[in-house]
Amino acid sequence: MARDAAGSEAQASAFDRGYRFYEAVGFLPIMLAAFLVLLALFVPHFLALENIFNVLRSSSYLVILAIGQMLVMIVGGFDLSVGSVVALTSVVSATVMAELGHSLAGHPGLVIAIGVAAGIGCGLAVGLVNGLCVAFLKVSPFMVTLGTASIATGFALLLTNGIPVYGMPKSYVDGFGRGLWLQLPTAVYLAVAAVALLWVMQNFTRMGRYIYAIGGNLQAAIVSGVRAKTHLIFAYALCAMLASLSGLALTAEIGSGQAVLNPQLTLESIAAAVIAGVSLKGGVGKVELVALGAVFLLTLTNAMDLLRIDPRIQSIFLGVIVVLAVALDELAKRRAAVV
Amino acid sequence: MVPASVENAPPAVPAACGELLLKLAGISKSFPGVVALDGVDFDLRHGEVHVLFGENGAGKSTLINIIAGTYPADAGSFQYQGQDIARLTPHEARVIGISPVFQEFSLVPDLTVEQNLFLGRELTAGGLLNRAAMRARARSIIRDLGFALDPDRKVRDLSRAHQQMVEIAKAFLTEVRLLILDEPTASLTEAEAAKLFSLIAKLKAAGAGIIYVSHRMREITAIADRITVLRDGRKIRTVAAGEVSETELVELMTGRKIEVLFPQIEFRPRETLLEVEHLTLANRSVNDVSLHARAGEITGIAGLVGCGKSEIIRAVFGLETITAGTIRVGGEAVAHPTPAGLLRRGLCYFPSDRVAEGLALARPVRENASMAALDLPAFSRAKVLQRRSERRVVQSIVERLRLHPPQIERPVANLSGGNRQKVLLARGLTRDIKVFLFDEPTVGVDVGAKAEVYELMKTLVASGVAIVLVSSELPEVMHLSRRLYVMHRSRIVAELTGKDINEPKVLSYFFGERSPEAATG
Amino acid sequence: MTFVLPLLMVAMELAVFSVQPRVLSERNLVNILNQSSYLLIFAAAQMMVILTRGFDLSLGASVSAISVASAMAMTALAAANAPDWLIIVVGLGVGLGFGLLVGLFNGLLVSGLGINPFVVTLGSLNICLGIATTISGGRPIFNVPDPFCHLLYDGRFIPGIPVPLTLAVLVSLLLYLVLNHTVFGRSLYLIGDNPRAAQLAGLPSRRYLTLAYVSCALLAAFGGLVLTARTGSGEPNLGGSLMLESIAAAVIGGISLMGGVGGIVQAVLGAVFVTMLSNAMDLLEVGGYVQQILLGCVIILAIFLDRLRVTRS
Repeated sequence: MARDAAGSEAQASAFDRGYRFYEAVGFLPIMLAAFLVLLALFVPHFLALENIFNVLRSSSYLVILAIGQMLVMIVGGFDLSVGSVVALTSVVSATVMAELGHSLAGHPGLVIAIGVAAGIGCGLAVGLVNGLCVAFLKVSPFMVTLGTASIATGFALLLTNGIPVYGMPKSYVDGFGRGLWLQLPTAVYLAVAAVALLWVMQNFTRMGRYIYAIGGNLQAAIVSGVRAKTHLIFAYALCAMLASLSGLALTAEIGSGQAVLNPQLTLESIAAAVIAGVSLKGGVGKVELVALGAVFLLTLTNAMDLLRIDPRIQSIFLGVIVVLAVALDELAKRRAAVV
Repeated sequence: MVPASVENAPPAVPAACGELLLKLAGISKSFPGVVALDGVDFDLRHGEVHVLFGENGAGKSTLINIIAGTYPADAGSFQYQGQDIARLTPHEARVIGISPVFQEFSLVPDLTVEQNLFLGRELTAGGLLNRAAMRARARSIIRDLGFALDPDRKVRDLSRAHQQMVEIAKAFLTEVRLLILDEPTASLTEAEAAKLFSLIAKLKAAGAGIIYVSHRMREITAIADRITVLRDGRKIRTVAAGEVSETELVELMTGRKIEVLFPQIEFRPRETLLEVEHLTLANRSVNDVSLHARAGEITGIAGLVGCGKSEIIRAVFGLETITAGTIRVGGEAVAHPTPAGLLRRGLCYFPSDRVAEGLALARPVRENASMAALDLPAFSRAKVLQRRSERRVVQSIVERLRLHPPQIERPVANLSGGNRQKVLLARGLTRDIKVFLFDEPTVGVDVGAKAEVYELMKTLVASGVAIVLVSSELPEVMHLSRRLYVMHRSRIVAELTGKDINEPKVLSYFFGERSPEAATG
Repeated sequence: MTFVLPLLMVAMELAVFSVQPRVLSERNLVNILNQSSYLLIFAAAQMMVILTRGFDLSLGASVSAISVASAMAMTALAAANAPDWLIIVVGLGVGLGFGLLVGLFNGLLVSGLGINPFVVTLGSLNICLGIATTISGGRPIFNVPDPFCHLLYDGRFIPGIPVPLTLAVLVSLLLYLVLNHTVFGRSLYLIGDNPRAAQLAGLPSRRYLTLAYVSCALLAAFGGLVLTARTGSGEPNLGGSLMLESIAAAVIGGISLMGGVGGIVQAVLGAVFVTMLSNAMDLLEVGGYVQQILLGCVIILAIFLDRLRVTRS
């Protein structure tokens, strides 16, 4: 019996390997590569170094945001509050830094440290609320995060009355937000580090594996002794903290704390994840692909900007793309089930 | 806490075969609305195979879940290897050597075989996963078990039989002192089942105890040392193997004499109402199947779990993708079967999973019963509901089916399994249904209701209805069918009538053997 | 459990009364009644899809787009000196037509392709927003013709009762009949409770699911037209926080997110409650931002109660 299996396996392995490569990687990298070639050929100024840096920089924020969203989607939920967390973090960190900038003048390092801590603290707080509600109250993640989004945005607006907050230390804005190391914006390094960390987590830690298990088959995970609640809370908390990180980087680059940053952020993070093959039902998702998805989305936006397509119409595009991506995924799954 | 592994599990307590490994006394467990176990005693000796025997809903699953630590008992004592066990978690249970293999797989579909094997018990080195060690161990376990499994394949890509093997392999990850097997051979071939039995023999020799849940007579007679019969949450009797006959076992399980349980039905088969020719499904669960059903007759389809019998009637009702073959209802070919279309033609399918596919639990009995007939004039005109008429019709049907209590406004969720099945069956009486497709109709139904369902079938058949009965309960499908098809691995391998419908013969076809002589013993 | 909400409302009003007596004045109570008629229409719209285990995230955005589109059409006709009746018909037609399109988009994708309603309506939300800002250029379209505003807002069908309130009552009656006395209504409950069972029973699930989303969008469109009549201009941000408010009202009222539970009475209760809440906050001079925070808290509370309700049964 064993020999039979080995023989037929050898025959099937070539086809198997090819299919498994496609299964693992999806058509996103291929699509992205083809897309880049098209853009390079047809869109003016696309390959200009400055433009590439622009794309890399703006995708960094979305990458960090999207990989957080991926975590929550893998455990079978959604986080609609990421956009609001970004806003809240922006406002809180800027306000804290501005206030401390007066009392602790001469210690910019300390001011920055506390400001950053306050910012990440916002993410942690929102993430914990989301996670606790989903894990213990067992309510729909979509509704909970809708609620916390409202609360977080409300707080952000309350703190600032809608007016941008200035007064962050110069070293923070110029060094971190707008600085360049080796010709690349610092945000890019931050994104790479975040992706690398999450990649290690997904593939080499129990935490990572349990997150897949909980999303894939909650009952099986519980019966196997996985502490589902703890890991659920962790996923939501980490997602929100990554959103905070993204918010900190954005704020540093813009130079002021704003309660109304890009209102599309939440949708973009979900779009990036969905394009990268993260299933809405949970249990599936790879961080490196989500990063690619974010880059792809922003490359698309960039191309549309260069082609002078109205941003309002771009938002229509975004909606269509998300729906298309999910529809195609759904159709592909159906065809696979028949085979 | 250090993860459990063979290396750091506590050493095996040296025990003579025959001493008590497990002793449960007075175990009771209730869930909302249901008493699952009521004062059950159960013990297991070292080196014995103890079979838990009983119908669905008798309490077997609850008992083994308690032993495996999934949830605690409400009352009773639990002694393992001479020590009292108070609160057991699934993890701790595995550490002390209790290895359950459940019927509903505890596998995560998108993870690989190897990842599933180690779920909850991963090997780590310095905080990170030790993938090399896990891969090596996974391969060695699979090799020792003799299964043909590829550790890198995702579980969702495996056949049901292979998934069952992964489930079994999981149990052998840690040292096994007490193995629990819940219907393990449901999807295995004869050869694979034999491998499992030799594993069980090895464990026995090493002093482990095995709890084996099954209602396959053949297996029970082959490997059981003792048999405990459960019924309605209570222990009826524990007998040594060979002490009672098979008939007596079934009677202990059902609480009724076999002759009383199944009614005598006079069949008068008439015209052919349903014909299936060379049916093949897209997912290959059914290949080139041809059968027919006649008015006034019960046509049974039997076979192992996963052989495709349910899929045939589901396909007829339009629930599966068909790639080849024809379906004829009342002589007319049906090109693209859909539930609505077939209901209009007088054919109704009653799903095996009532909760998932049959009933709207929060809605009242009345709405559930009329669900499939809302297009009929008794229930609506010009898309406006005729509520008074609906109430009248459903009330009379419900009384005819002896629903207790006959209140049609109660939400179905509050009804017992047997009553729920009656509500589902009421659907067949709201329309002019000539062909009833039953898929495991008495799963989770108490004995009293079962008898009533069989009576209903008798009445229906007498009035000229055709019944197709798909069932994994061999006594049921054998005693009720006039003609019995046997399926094996997606194909029909036999069509039996009269005296040919007997257990040895039917079972021989179950496993694909063509010659009944090979099946004796 | 059904008496919890009315009791809560009474308790809340009494609590506010102790601080601000104006809350129980006849004028304020009438005000609450009138105000809730708008939210009722939107809550009822959401109810149609929440019953089927879905929701419509595009509700606010579609309202904005409809407001702008119909305003633009009507002002153009008015400038061309078209007769009043034509202006009204076109205004209503554009609004309801757009609603129909949105409803079909949502419904067909959810029922035909089985895509999660969250994703579909999130997509249509963005599309509608894009359309709203593109058509209007980001600015309100003023001078919506009087006849239209008169019909849907100023005028009176029944003396003494504002049109929006009359319309809300009519909508409620209509939906009551539909939900309790038609095959479509019955099917919504069955599909919401167990979509698979509904399919096996031969119910035309896809058709009815699409119809649910279409009715939701049409009701929202209708509400949007009434709001437009009230402001007298096409506002690209008319939808604002309507999506959140409509879902909150429906869920608080007792329409379960799990599907298959709830009716028009629940929608009415929920709409009145949410309106009472924001009315109370206005009277207590609570800032707009704080109100937003409170709305978020109320949503979380509502889903928690909803969950309790389900587990208890």
